[in-house]
Amino acid sequence: MVGEKIETLLESPAHEFDVVVRIAREEDIAVARQMAKQLAQETGFSLADVTKIATAVSELARNIYRYAKEGRIMIRKRLEDRDGPCIEVIAADRGPGISDVELVLTRGYTTYERSLGIGLSGVKRLMDSFEIYSEVGKGTVVITEKRRRKF
Amino acid sequence: MKMMTYKDRVVPILRVADYLLVPIQIDLDDSTVGRLQKQLMEEIERTRARAVILDVRMVEVIDSYISYTLSETAAMARLMGCRTILCGIQPPVALTLAQMGVVLQELVVARDLEHALVLASLS
Repeated sequence: MVGEKIETLLESPAHEFDVVVRIAREEDIAVARQMAKQLAQETGFSLADVTKIATAVSELARNIYRYAKEGRIMIRKRLEDRDGPCIEVIAADRGPGISDVELVLTRGYTTYERSLGIGLSGVKRLMDSFEIYSEVGKGTVVITEKRRRKF
Repeated sequence: MKMMTYKDRVVPILRVADYLLVPIQIDLDDSTVGRLQKQLMEEIERTRARAVILDVRMVEVIDSYISYTLSETAAMARLMGCRTILCGIQPPVALTLAQMGVVLQELVVARDLEHALVLASLS
């Protein structure tokens, strides 16, 4: 089930998204972050929310690079949503997967030595919605959204 | 430790009295923040500075790894007898870090550069 979802997302055509960044090298993290920032700015998000989105993308891209070695960050704006314009960020990889999703969402939990262990839980806090699907041996998908605030 | 070449230097480091002033005006990607750490350690060793002031006014994104590395750098500096003072965190960056629950351990945070210089002189 999760495996299929990952495959569908990774096979989805690039034109369905505004930004698709393949994460395979360390530099790609900064590229993904920069592209997310630009898209959020164009979509009219406040500077505070632009920063949150860029930071969340940075965390997701780094997780792909660190744990899966390779994957994708896909971002699209949805302007016609009932609840107003929003940006959707999807991170997908065919990496080792996560056996205990609850555990990795615990603040301070990390398997990486140089890390604060707040990446994923941080993303959840920074964004408005957060879903994670993972299966050991298949990969991991994180789907997250941020709505544009009215002022 | 191998001496750094000009290319390895990622930021200008200004020497002011016994302090090192480091204006960070570049996008901090992972390898840059690592090289920044190395450059700082070498400068601290070479100059025997009492304090390092990191000015992050121009930095638009500080994520958990950058936070981790900055704290780690400060911990290393402390072991070399040098304090690290951070100043200039932009409001959206402060908001993001606070929301994520990042604690910048080992770092002294100043309001601005002037305040950072006062704190540096106290060390």
